[in-house]
Amino acid sequence: MTVAGYHIRLQRRTQLPGWKAALFSILAILFGLLLFSFIFIQSGHSPREIYKQIFSYAFLNSYGLRLTINRFIFLAFASFAFIIPYRAGLWNIGMPGQLYLGALASFGVVYLLGGKSGDINMPQPLLITLMVLAALAAGALIGGIAGFLKGKWNVNEIVVTMMLNFIAFNLVSFMIKDGGPFMNPGGRGESFELPEVARAPLIADFPYTLILVFLLTIALYLLFGRMSLGYQIRAFGKSPPAARYAGINPFWISVLVFLLGGALAGLAGYHYFAAVPGVYKIARTYGYFGDLSFYGMICGLISLGNPIATLFIALLFGGLSIGGRSAQGKLHLGFGVDYALMGMLMISLVAFQFFYNYQILIERKQTEID
Amino acid sequence: MFKSKEKAQEGIELHGDIWKHIQPGEVILDARGITKRYPGGVLANDHIDFKIRAGEIHAILGENGAGKTTLMSILFGLLQPDEGEIYVRGLKVRFRSPEDAIKMGIGMVHQHRKLVPAHTVLENILLGHPQSRGVINVKEAEEEIVALAERYGFKVDPRARVWQLTEGEKQVVEIVKALYRGAKILILDEPTSALTPVETERLLESIETMTEEALGVVPFITHKLPMVLAISDQVTILRRGRVVDRMETAQATEQILAQKMVGRPVIFDLQKPEVTPGEPVIQVENLSARNNKGVIALKNASFTVREGEILGIAGVAGNGQHELAETLFGLRPAESGRILFNGQDITNRSILDRWKLGMGYTPAERTEVGSIGDFTLVENVAMNYYFDPRYNHAGFLDYGGLRQLTERIIDEFDVATPGPDVKIQTLSGGNLQKIILGRVLSRQPKLVIANLPAQGLDVGATEFVQRKLLEARSNKAAVILISEDLDEILSLSDWIAPMYEGEIVDILPAAEAKKDVIGAMIAGIQREN
Repeated sequence: MTVAGYHIRLQRRTQLPGWKAALFSILAILFGLLLFSFIFIQSGHSPREIYKQIFSYAFLNSYGLRLTINRFIFLAFASFAFIIPYRAGLWNIGMPGQLYLGALASFGVVYLLGGKSGDINMPQPLLITLMVLAALAAGALIGGIAGFLKGKWNVNEIVVTMMLNFIAFNLVSFMIKDGGPFMNPGGRGESFELPEVARAPLIADFPYTLILVFLLTIALYLLFGRMSLGYQIRAFGKSPPAARYAGINPFWISVLVFLLGGALAGLAGYHYFAAVPGVYKIARTYGYFGDLSFYGMICGLISLGNPIATLFIALLFGGLSIGGRSAQGKLHLGFGVDYALMGMLMISLVAFQFFYNYQILIERKQTEID
Repeated sequence: MFKSKEKAQEGIELHGDIWKHIQPGEVILDARGITKRYPGGVLANDHIDFKIRAGEIHAILGENGAGKTTLMSILFGLLQPDEGEIYVRGLKVRFRSPEDAIKMGIGMVHQHRKLVPAHTVLENILLGHPQSRGVINVKEAEEEIVALAERYGFKVDPRARVWQLTEGEKQVVEIVKALYRGAKILILDEPTSALTPVETERLLESIETMTEEALGVVPFITHKLPMVLAISDQVTILRRGRVVDRMETAQATEQILAQKMVGRPVIFDLQKPEVTPGEPVIQVENLSARNNKGVIALKNASFTVREGEILGIAGVAGNGQHELAETLFGLRPAESGRILFNGQDITNRSILDRWKLGMGYTPAERTEVGSIGDFTLVENVAMNYYFDPRYNHAGFLDYGGLRQLTERIIDEFDVATPGPDVKIQTLSGGNLQKIILGRVLSRQPKLVIANLPAQGLDVGATEFVQRKLLEARSNKAAVILISEDLDEILSLSDWIAPMYEGEIVDILPAAEAKKDVIGAMIAGIQREN
């Protein structure tokens, strides 16, 4: 294309430094916010005021920040649950089911120890450890089904994980509603409340699961960047036939990534229902958190499976979901505007990934000499 | 700019008349100053000029990366040149797509066949034909096609399914398809690379007939130099995107052509040192295996290869060699029989165990199986080392050490690359193969299975790869060489096992083997005793 003597063309990139990828993401967010501000202007609001409300509530207000961080932890676990199979070229759509089972298993530990009606005579660290292990194991178990079927008979993992979501969803209903074993004695269609000793300890107002997020980020970074196992997962993800030739066991990789992914999704379930202050029960609206876990998939995709980049995206979307809801209430915005804004940013982030692969070159057109 | 476009348009409308009254010897295609620059500043074609005359076979010769593929794509409208012009019978043309090129009488026979395997020959030939947009009179078309094929001495069964055909037959289908569309200039990409000697002979005869009818034939060739000398009238040699020389074939010798192509003298007679064979490394007993369609494709293969020996498996593609290689390496389950490696039964051992025990395999599918395009050179080298205690410390990979190893392989195997950290998909075919072979040989395996190690490589890289296999043999490795190139088999092997329809026909000592005898065996012609 030629414009006013300048030649504009697209060129494929051969490599992309990390800082440039980060820069494009920031530009994408700004671009998305800019686009959405036209919608605010259309509906007679000041975008500046709204964005100020959203971001100051989400990140500066001490109450809002706590909500944001809790969402962030949840999204980070869900993202990791997606990323691990994703790096092996497999799609985990089963975070909801895995996190439901994780939550059920944590509550199951408390239930079996008699925590539904009385107190538990057990040191808190031991109890918490048992709950976390149960959540990890339950998530891994249901996730592992998809990995096993994929590895053994090449059954599509997307279908399996999605179907398992329905089973898990109804299993939670069975457990917490209508006389189910975990039913709240008050009968409000939610689970019993955790006794004091089973609630996750807070560190500076934030649940300790925040530390787990950072530890897991480092662990995943090392796994994919340094470890032989991560190398095998990546090789399998890029080219299954080449991985097989190199002696990598496709069955084992499929099972393993879904065990790990499912375990981390289970941890997300544990976090939201057993570690977030003010919750400490499987709420009637648990399905909402199942849906929310799909944002983990989006965070994982936007960050192209990079665990560190994922953290920033998860923080952004955690904050937006909290700040957006607050702004909607406070400034009387239309229903669902918070989700529309998040959607816009996602589209913008994905669209800007075009620049990961291409660059635009503008050159002065040379005058032709005959 | 717009003016030239209109003119090109005009030319394409005129195509009905353009091919009338061709005189033999007349210039029918004239390429002037063809230039193509790729992202990153690579100049794939640098002002290339050449003329094709009617009734002439004009070979374009060049190594991998010399710009042949780019030039071919430009002539066929797959790519547009940055500079330069193409004239067909004096008319300036601009091909925006292959459709334009076909309209102007240019036909292309791809090396990697572009046919639908599940369809019949007739369906494939009609597919995409301008007439086939409306109603086709299938019967009439079938008769026309058979007549057309016969005119040039081809045998085609229009009702056969393409997947049942041999490579040679598929090529015939592609040629007939191009001719049926009215091609006057036929571009052949590596025409004889997958053919048996018998099929090659037949193809050459057909090409002769074509030139008698004043068609222009343009074979593009990388490594079959004797073929160039045998068939062509003119030869244009490319190196690094430029025309380095053009000559009448009568004045050329193999040595001259190779030197011009590579830019340095090439040794054709490989030094094959005397090696005393040692202990048996691999013993195969009655090995059978199925192909991907579930049919037994390898039948009762038995052989032994000892230290310092090369066993050459000769045969035309699809006669069980591929299944043999994959079964030996554990990529395909054995149906029956067993494999002993250093006396140990490894028939059902995993691929990883085979690597650890000292087997090495260089697959024929270098981009799909032998390497991971999106990985760097270092990560690709890690494919054979991620399990090796020298580079795997308690589950952590020593990427620094792997990087040094990669640099050593790059040095020793003379790999042209900007460095070890670029993605391997940026490498040319020859360099990719050097990395794969270098990676496998760096493990100093006791057995190397080399599946089509030099296929598609240029003269320089072929010589290099062959020399490295002989080096492995000198280092007491057992080598199983699978090749469709009889000359390669004859010059490298100690023993030759021709395969036909899944069976090893015979195992002959190379010293006594004759090319025509082996050629007959792989074509399924029984020896008379």
